[in-house]
Amino acid sequence: MFNKFSRRAGSGVAVTVAAALMLTACGGNGGGEAGGTPDPNEEVTLNFTWWGNEDRAERYNEAIALFEEENPNIDVNGTFMDFPAYWEKRQTEAAGGGLPDVMQFDYSYLRQYGQNGLLLDLNDYVGNGLTTDTIDDTLLATGKLEDQTLGVPTGYNAWSLFENPALIEQAGVEGYEGGTSWEEYEEYMASVSDASDEVFGGTDYTGRIQNFELQLRQEGRELFTEDGQLNFTQEELAEFWSSTADLRENETVIPARTLEELLPKSGFGSNLTASEMTWSNFMGGYLGDTGAEDLNIVAPPTNDPSVKDLYQKPSMLHAVSAGTEHPEAAVAFVEFLINSPEVGKIFGASLGVPASETALEGAALEGPELEVKEYLDSVADRIGEPPAAPVVGYGALENTFLTLGTSIGLGSISPEDAAQQFFDEAAVTLAG
Amino acid sequence: MTTANIESATNSVGSPVRPVRKRPQTPRKTAATVAWIVGIVLLTAVVLYPLLWMISASFKPNAEFGSNQSLLPENPTFDNFVKVMEGVAGIPTWKFFWNSTILGIGAVIGTVISSSMAAYAFARLDFKGRPLFFAMMIGTLLLPFHVLIIPQYMIFRNLGMVDTFFPLLVGKFLATEAFFVFLMVQFIRNLPKELDEAARIDGCGHWRIFWSITLPLIKPALITSSIFAFIWSWNDFLGPLLYLNSPENYPLPLALRVFNDQSSASDYGATVAISVLALLPVMLFFVIFQRFLVDGVATQGLKG
Repeated sequence: MFNKFSRRAGSGVAVTVAAALMLTACGGNGGGEAGGTPDPNEEVTLNFTWWGNEDRAERYNEAIALFEEENPNIDVNGTFMDFPAYWEKRQTEAAGGGLPDVMQFDYSYLRQYGQNGLLLDLNDYVGNGLTTDTIDDTLLATGKLEDQTLGVPTGYNAWSLFENPALIEQAGVEGYEGGTSWEEYEEYMASVSDASDEVFGGTDYTGRIQNFELQLRQEGRELFTEDGQLNFTQEELAEFWSSTADLRENETVIPARTLEELLPKSGFGSNLTASEMTWSNFMGGYLGDTGAEDLNIVAPPTNDPSVKDLYQKPSMLHAVSAGTEHPEAAVAFVEFLINSPEVGKIFGASLGVPASETALEGAALEGPELEVKEYLDSVADRIGEPPAAPVVGYGALENTFLTLGTSIGLGSISPEDAAQQFFDEAAVTLAG
Repeated sequence: MTTANIESATNSVGSPVRPVRKRPQTPRKTAATVAWIVGIVLLTAVVLYPLLWMISASFKPNAEFGSNQSLLPENPTFDNFVKVMEGVAGIPTWKFFWNSTILGIGAVIGTVISSSMAAYAFARLDFKGRPLFFAMMIGTLLLPFHVLIIPQYMIFRNLGMVDTFFPLLVGKFLATEAFFVFLMVQFIRNLPKELDEAARIDGCGHWRIFWSITLPLIKPALITSSIFAFIWSWNDFLGPLLYLNSPENYPLPLALRVFNDQSSASDYGATVAISVLALLPVMLFFVIFQRFLVDGVATQGLKG
């Protein structure tokens, strides 16, 4: 009774407190004089942490064992949690001064931790303990903030469109070839929904901020301005949300109510929609959720295929804590995780298609993972510069966008009111 | 001194034998009873539905989550339990149960010992500033836990206690749960002071009075505290999350989350299966101790 607090509320407060503390104090000092390889005679213990399921834990344990074999003086303590809890714990550690030496990091948190001086600048180690020539420059740039290198991407993915061939066949229609106009995609969705009683052509894509970003990038714009403010008007957002009103009305897309009932699974994962746009690394999860033997992955719609609207998103990065006592050993471990062909072999594409050439070679992708890699290669012409590292609070905005999109789908709010609400919340989030 | 005594005792406790006039049950009353019972059963069904769903869902194969909305699995399977018992990343599942058990039992022992002693002091000892200290103790109830998270973390980190069970148990042995202390203080205040005085005349000090008079009489409060302390500890997520790093030290609530990671493939079947397993000990604990709870309340009634 008295002891029961909502965990969500708890984390909220923890985050606020942590943020406040980080603003006032704690600019961890960098690892001293830079560069070099670890002293092979010094006994070192590194703490390493990641989020993920038990399958990933087994892979990391394997990689750690291999690293310890090669570096007998370094002992790596691995620890893991699921994604939300992982960040709750990091916030407390950031404020309390106990961040682990090496962390699997998420793109959307990079700015927040980097701005507060909690991450080690790896620039001094590049070419001197850390090899980055193996990674594509635009992708490598996603781990940079201003001139500092704060994280090294493990792998990458891109926005994509998944299709379930079994459902398309069942409906007896042609699949969507990918990369054509939005109208054609909508016609395709309608053809599936009309042909089948149970299966829908797709999900209302206006529910996700990435699709809005995609349309903006197709006009040569970004979601945020350089100084981190919204780069679109309230009217444009309302228009975007209204653009699929017909699809919702005709039930061309799966009704929001059904989607709510399916949570935590998606409509696509439940075999109820024939297509869905999401990040390309969802392949593994969707194969598991649908139980399908094969899923197709094609390019998202665009009205102008020559525009570079897609970008390589680091699926995750590895970062070193600014407060680490053993920066050389930590960097050596990151180097091993990023570039070693053995690690590439252990993980395949489960951390995204490997960013490093050497790891990619070791990975020897096959099956669905190879399909994802081939998709990424096929859209190479549409891949442009990635947007600047997400603003602080991007995760919250993304979530607000999703919630409002769902409310529109449920008919509980009009697109205009939703846009108003989004701008109100963004004003608070982005000002803070 | 034996059978006769017990019988007479039972008789005196039970109601005196009196002729009961059989009243004919009116049909209206029967109808009301039926409606009453049906209502209760329905309500119970509603309350128990999530639990039922969980138990039944633990036999659903992973692919049925999302597609099969009905209560019963279409293809019942034991695979989820088999998968769960294999453990996580080389750590056997019993280890998580073991960790949870140590934490739970530690919490119960610590709470019972420390809170009862603190409560005795507040209720029976006359020391300077007692009202102030009592108010401060109650004041900690009003202090949100979240305010303490970071300072507490820093203290335990500087003491080098992170990744051990100490941060999770030390507080329990220092009577930091004001709720339990308060509960016991109120209980002890209700005990007649004459019992203490009689003991003092017989030459007891505070220690002996506490041990021989107070403790046996506050048994119901001790049991209530034990039940809550155990359940809270068993279900605690945030504390272990912050203080434990090594997966070998994880208690169940942390291990549970590992099966259900949204950023990679989630194993819903395994999550539900381990949830069912994690519930069993708590339910068992409650069933066992609830008997004592009722027992204790009954004893207390006799005291007058």
